[in-house]
Amino acid sequence: MPRTPTRRSRSLRLAAVASGAVLVAGAATGCNAAAKKDDGPSAEGGGRSFTLVTPDPVGQNQFLKLAVDGVKAAAKAHDGTQKVYQSSDSASQQQNVQAAVDAAPDVVVLVGFEFADLVAQQAEAHPKQQFLVVDACTAKTYANVSCAVFREHEGVYLAGAEAGLLSESGRVGAVDVLDTPQFRRYSDPFAAGAKKVAPKTSADTRFVGGQSPFDDSARAKEQANSLLAKGTDHIMAAAAAGNYGVFEAAGAKKAYAYGVDVNQCTAAPGTVVDNVIKKTDVAVREGVEQVLDGKGGRTVSYGLKEGGISLTGLEDGVESSKCVIAEHRDVLAKVEALRDRIVSGELKVDDPAAE
Amino acid sequence: MFLDSDLLMSALRALTPILLAALGGALCERAGVFNIGLEGMMLMGCFTAVATSWFTGSPWLGVLAAALAAAAYSLILAVGAVTLRGDAVVLGVAMNLLAVGLTSFLLRTVFGVQGTFDDPSLAGLPLVGGFSPLAYLAWAAVGVSALLLSRHVWGLRLRGVGEAPDAAATLGVSPARYKYAAVLVSGVLCGLAGAQLALGNVTLFSENMTAGRGWIAVVAVMLGRALPLGVLLAALLFGLAEAAGFRLQGLGMPQQATDAAPYVVTLVALFLSTAQRRRRTARTTGNARTTGVAP
Repeated sequence: MPRTPTRRSRSLRLAAVASGAVLVAGAATGCNAAAKKDDGPSAEGGGRSFTLVTPDPVGQNQFLKLAVDGVKAAAKAHDGTQKVYQSSDSASQQQNVQAAVDAAPDVVVLVGFEFADLVAQQAEAHPKQQFLVVDACTAKTYANVSCAVFREHEGVYLAGAEAGLLSESGRVGAVDVLDTPQFRRYSDPFAAGAKKVAPKTSADTRFVGGQSPFDDSARAKEQANSLLAKGTDHIMAAAAAGNYGVFEAAGAKKAYAYGVDVNQCTAAPGTVVDNVIKKTDVAVREGVEQVLDGKGGRTVSYGLKEGGISLTGLEDGVESSKCVIAEHRDVLAKVEALRDRIVSGELKVDDPAAE
Repeated sequence: MFLDSDLLMSALRALTPILLAALGGALCERAGVFNIGLEGMMLMGCFTAVATSWFTGSPWLGVLAAALAAAAYSLILAVGAVTLRGDAVVLGVAMNLLAVGLTSFLLRTVFGVQGTFDDPSLAGLPLVGGFSPLAYLAWAAVGVSALLLSRHVWGLRLRGVGEAPDAAATLGVSPARYKYAAVLVSGVLCGLAGAQLALGNVTLFSENMTAGRGWIAVVAVMLGRALPLGVLLAALLFGLAEAAGFRLQGLGMPQQATDAAPYVVTLVALFLSTAQRRRRTARTTGNARTTGVAP
């Protein structure tokens, strides 16, 4: 599964320092140092119980915050309880998964590719425990492991359509992490979307690569520069931490960029047009339902139709998102029409990762 | 159009941090301390530069703090390798690992974020003629260190300390003092390299953002035989290879192939320089096989 950019990369909010301090204080008083427990309603009265394990501290991470919202909604719907175990590194991920399994809740929810291998071991050892893995899946299928994966390419296609409609030079491009089918989901559909609305658009992709493709923002910036030098004015940024480098490069040349996973417009207001967002709350809520209905062990994919993938511009609160797209209502209307065609099945977006 | 000013600018931007770090590495090499902790010192510089610039609002203070912090960090190598006579390679590897962990930890405690700290109001270095002032400093540092090593008494003594510490000591030159100085100066240069990367090339800090540049610098030191001009050429070669790699992607070359460009260049350069040295040795001694490659 693609390691998505903003999971590890947050822009600063000074408030985060304060909330971080609160979390640290909370952990100090807890009995298990590895797990910062966020206990839900204490009533154990026969309801369902759910435990969410996150790969990183939730903090300001919107991707994980949405997952917490999802598990809270599930607990509320079933009059049950929920717990959130926040990990800080791979050792605490392992401890937290173990702690979650030991408590034997109805469903253990794991968010992120980090858990793909861990859950396989646990699922074999505890065949009666139900697991839900979001944004990743195990290599083998297990009767007690359900997966929720995303069809990112559908959202990227819509972002590409926005770029096609807005581009003045008729050149769009993408800065991607690695040249693999999974990551191409962030670049190929961008080109396809732009060409759908403006057939004369030319598209180009650069891959960051190198020794640490996920961290190298300087390299990502140079890749973006090499696109900009060819006249590209709209760039899809899917380069993990490198996204910030792409935004810098685009901002300096008065070009535009597109973010992923969460609203990245705040990182570079006036430069970031829109974002392809993953709604982990939807995936968690519906995944839990599916497990409780006795339909565990399946992989469900979430796209535009299921509301699991969307654009910041198509969600509520566009006006306050600091995204450039908020000023382009006409473009949004066209993109909405395109989304409806994808949702209805009339228009199909090619998946570069399809076998 | 393949070769143009954009390509050259891109190559020069990639060059600056590598060059600064490699000059530091070269000084250590001449003083007889094999410094492979460049990557870690650079990363410390990156973090300190960003944190200082953020809290003071001045990128210049950020640069200064980065130089000081990396110099302080380089004391680990100086004390460990010179005073305690530890293995410089082991120390260097430890410094690199520690720097990744330490800066990630500090990022979390100081800024309360993970992965990347980025804010539109973070002040970066201004551009003078398309480059950051540190780029000019790097070029100047090449000349200064070349003169120092070939002309000035300090440089000559430094080389003496590196090549024959016992002989230097009998002449009243303290090898330890010169080695300390070389390591500390390499710390300063790596700090500047980090500041250039985090406030010049980009304006942000992200975990492990040096991404192997310190290792490239180590290779540049070896390839340039620890001569400032040689190091400059080696670093330039890497910068060009990287920039050309980006450009080749645009011409349809797969990323996996362009990624290999700097390494292919290294191999070719090593092969050519070794062959040349062998020929030269053969000319002077009449027999290349028995003398092998002169250091």
